[in-house]
Amino acid sequence: MTPLPLSGQATMTSGFNAPGRFVLRLRDPRNTSNPGHNDAALVRSMDDAAVAMANGFTTSVVVGSALLADDEPRTPRVARFAERFGYFGEGDVIGLDAHSRRFRSLYRRNSEHNSFLVTERCNHYCLMCSQPPRDIDDSWILDEIAEAIPLIDPSTVSIGFTGGEPLLEWERFVPLLAMAGVRLPKTEIHVLTNGRGFAQPAIASAWASLANPRLCAGIPIYSAVDVRHDYIVQARGAFDETVLGVLRLKDKGQRVEIRLVLHALTAPDLVETCAWMARNLPFVDHVALMGLENTGFAIANDGLLWIDPFDYRDALTQGVSILSAAGLRVSIYNVPLCLLDSSAWPFAVRSISDWKNAFPPACDPCQERGRCGGFFSTGRPRYSDRIRPFLTKALP
Amino acid sequence: MPAVTVVFDQNTQALGPLQEAAYRLIGVAACQIEQADTSFTCTLHPQAGSAGDLEALRLRFLDIVTDENLRAKVSAETEGVRNVVLALAFGALARAQAAPQVEQGKGE
Amino acid sequence: MSKFAPLEAFAPSGAADLQLLPLRFERLSAGRYLVTNIVGDFLVLARDDLDRIAALDLRPGDGLYEKAFSRHLIAPKGRVGQLQLLALRLRSRMAFLREPTPLHLFVVTLRCEHSCPYCQVSRRSTDRGLYDMDESTAMRALNIALSAPPSSLKLEFQGGEPLLNFDLIKKIVLAAKERGPRRGKQLEFVITTNLALLTDSILAFCKDNGVLLSTSLDGPADLHNRNRPRPGGNSHELAVEGIRRAQEFLGRDRIGALMTTAEASLERPEEIIDEYVRLGLDGIFLRPLSPYGFAVKTKWIKGYDAARWLAFYRRGLRYILNLNKRGTHFPEFHAAMLMQRLLTDRPLGYVDLRSPSGAGLGALVYNYDGKVFASDEGRMLAEMGDRTFELGDVSADDYHSLVLSDRLVDLVGKSLTQCAPQCSSCAFEPHCGADPVYHHATQGDALGIKPLSDFCARQKGILALLIDLLDNSPDDAAVLRRWVAP
Repeated sequence: MTPLPLSGQATMTSGFNAPGRFVLRLRDPRNTSNPGHNDAALVRSMDDAAVAMANGFTTSVVVGSALLADDEPRTPRVARFAERFGYFGEGDVIGLDAHSRRFRSLYRRNSEHNSFLVTERCNHYCLMCSQPPRDIDDSWILDEIAEAIPLIDPSTVSIGFTGGEPLLEWERFVPLLAMAGVRLPKTEIHVLTNGRGFAQPAIASAWASLANPRLCAGIPIYSAVDVRHDYIVQARGAFDETVLGVLRLKDKGQRVEIRLVLHALTAPDLVETCAWMARNLPFVDHVALMGLENTGFAIANDGLLWIDPFDYRDALTQGVSILSAAGLRVSIYNVPLCLLDSSAWPFAVRSISDWKNAFPPACDPCQERGRCGGFFSTGRPRYSDRIRPFLTKALP
Repeated sequence: MPAVTVVFDQNTQALGPLQEAAYRLIGVAACQIEQADTSFTCTLHPQAGSAGDLEALRLRFLDIVTDENLRAKVSAETEGVRNVVLALAFGALARAQAAPQVEQGKGE
Repeated sequence: MSKFAPLEAFAPSGAADLQLLPLRFERLSAGRYLVTNIVGDFLVLARDDLDRIAALDLRPGDGLYEKAFSRHLIAPKGRVGQLQLLALRLRSRMAFLREPTPLHLFVVTLRCEHSCPYCQVSRRSTDRGLYDMDESTAMRALNIALSAPPSSLKLEFQGGEPLLNFDLIKKIVLAAKERGPRRGKQLEFVITTNLALLTDSILAFCKDNGVLLSTSLDGPADLHNRNRPRPGGNSHELAVEGIRRAQEFLGRDRIGALMTTAEASLERPEEIIDEYVRLGLDGIFLRPLSPYGFAVKTKWIKGYDAARWLAFYRRGLRYILNLNKRGTHFPEFHAAMLMQRLLTDRPLGYVDLRSPSGAGLGALVYNYDGKVFASDEGRMLAEMGDRTFELGDVSADDYHSLVLSDRLVDLVGKSLTQCAPQCSSCAFEPHCGADPVYHHATQGDALGIKPLSDFCARQKGILALLIDLLDNSPDDAAVLRRWVAP
């Protein structure tokens, strides 16, 4: 999961007087009888404007150009967005910077892939990183997330936290997770982390104290060989600490998913890596084998990383078979069905965020498009030569 | 009774591996080890019923001694870390038994 | 601009940065060595490669570094991750110690109407009285069994022919079902019987109370009947009929069969397997003959030795693997168990291949006369006058005094493979076990001199065979892996 970079600039704001950022939950003015201070009425028409005023909204977000400036609601705070942001709807949460008028989407209610970027700082420098690290002070992000979480619909199925490396600020991040656990008791919380922080007993204990059965750490291990893993993440000692971190977490009964990105550096020893996981970490809760997103550093390292998924198909089949025979739950993400052996289809998951998914024209006649993971549209999409549409239904 | 003798230089061969090798050959040959000034002399008496070739027995004994030398070296080098692993493995168990309210978790 | 370091930047600078982890090796054939680590991960290498690993002459990218690292034969100095991993896995492999004595055998009678030459139980007449377990002994034994720590216990009824004292079995089962749950126990019941005396009412009781049946089937009729003489000479016919009736009434998965291998079996593994398949049995355990009781008396076991038995086993396993490859799921249970040892760290329920030995710590045997033994074989030795494995008596002892008796602790301690000569440096040891009863019976010593032990030769032979198949025969390996249930 990567954060939604849906962002833009408000064409106008007024009433947002303090410098700083504002977190707003967008509401249909008709449905909301008792709006909070963070609730902003979504206004597209004069009727909306009237209802917003009548229902006591302190903030309005006017979308599109149907409304003239004179007809805008006279709520204390108003922002105007261009028409292309018209997809926003009830329950969506945005963060708005008063000074620059820039805003970004933090949470979309009807998305299955909501994720919060916690920081862009990272102690790794993965060759294929889709979110290249920046060493800046972005601690304001945690404040913004803390404001956003209470606004999230508690019926949300799952949310993610990612980065950078979220555990770099664990003393602030873990309490944030605690709050999320309280506000969203039914929501699955998935945190992407390199897991090295958990090698420290204090961090592992703090995490375990959250005692949230819906919390899961998604931790990458790219090889059974320390040098190869360290090389891929560009950090010496990473493998050792990550393994230790996984052990400490599992010792405390916490949920752990092991993630592996499939590319030219992980494909050659994929079978060995899966056999190693089956043998050494059979107690993890899930293994996610993931096709490469060709964005960020992956573009710079294309020469090292690109491999046609068709070429690792056999290794992937064998690896999945070894893992599942050992009783591990396994899933394949981001690899199109036509590039997988049919025995691997039961493990293939539709997972690319709706807004990032783009099928090439070759896929137009495919009967299994609805079940297929599809392709990343982000970055520089690079397609296998072996993509073939299924002209008749192929899956059971 | 035919026997074959193999002599080792004490400067390059330790006694322990010779004894281990002799143990491995129980049932195939009885081995007598004698120590002189700078050498060990191993006399191998094939057991009744085991296949006859004395030269093959000598070579087999030499192979086994080579293996036992390597075992001795590896054992000496890894004894420390072996104890560490055992302590990590069962030290936790001992602690847990001393304080049974500590949760074991899903570590295994 | 982003700066990425090459692979070499993350490699250890040489042998000085590496340390050797505990490893063992065995020569499999000229130039080929099996290497295992402290938890039994295995690798087959040429001697040169083994020497290079021992000398830490390794470099990432040479292929050998990768193999050695991923099998935990080497580690970077000063790092802890692999050591913690090995420690955890070692604990997992030894976790059977947390569930001591899950198995309790009740010898409800010594009487039997067969007279099998290899039988470890003396022939007795079918007169009642002296050779049946009485109710008070049974209840005392049950009480001891229910005192065992595990929450899941298996009670097995043996003999002689246990159906000759079925009334007592009923009493024990019903008492156990009443008392067990009160003590937090989940119970499984098995009767090991030749099935000749199976009746509808016995079957009905088994069905109502979830009792499993286990019988003996040595192969086709002539083979089976030769091993198991019975007045009427129809042991096989009755066994087959019993199996069919039990399968129909109780279900296919509620009846199993065990075979014993006699001299005459050695040339006929395929026929034996075919017989099992024909009867719809769900697998077979190709067992050796154990050297106890009658067999020793009648010199019956002089028929074969480890090499001949291994040849039989190889043939049988090959036949079974081919059968599986043609689509019939039919495991060989000994191989299946060893596969679980080889490929996972899950402890096995099988008590006969463990170190510390499963004698006493894995199972307790309550004889008809109230004496308690560390294993069934130990009981059989007592029938011949050797009471080394007798631990006590139900009228005088309780669970703790039996299991913590000096005698048992001594026997188990003496036979530990972890400390034994040759075992302690054997590459197969993580996948093997102690058998103090076998070694006592054959060599007069619980530890035994392993170079002279057929048990050792058989274990090494089977493990080497399985490892060879895993490494060199992908189709067979796929079948073997399927036999390991997660």
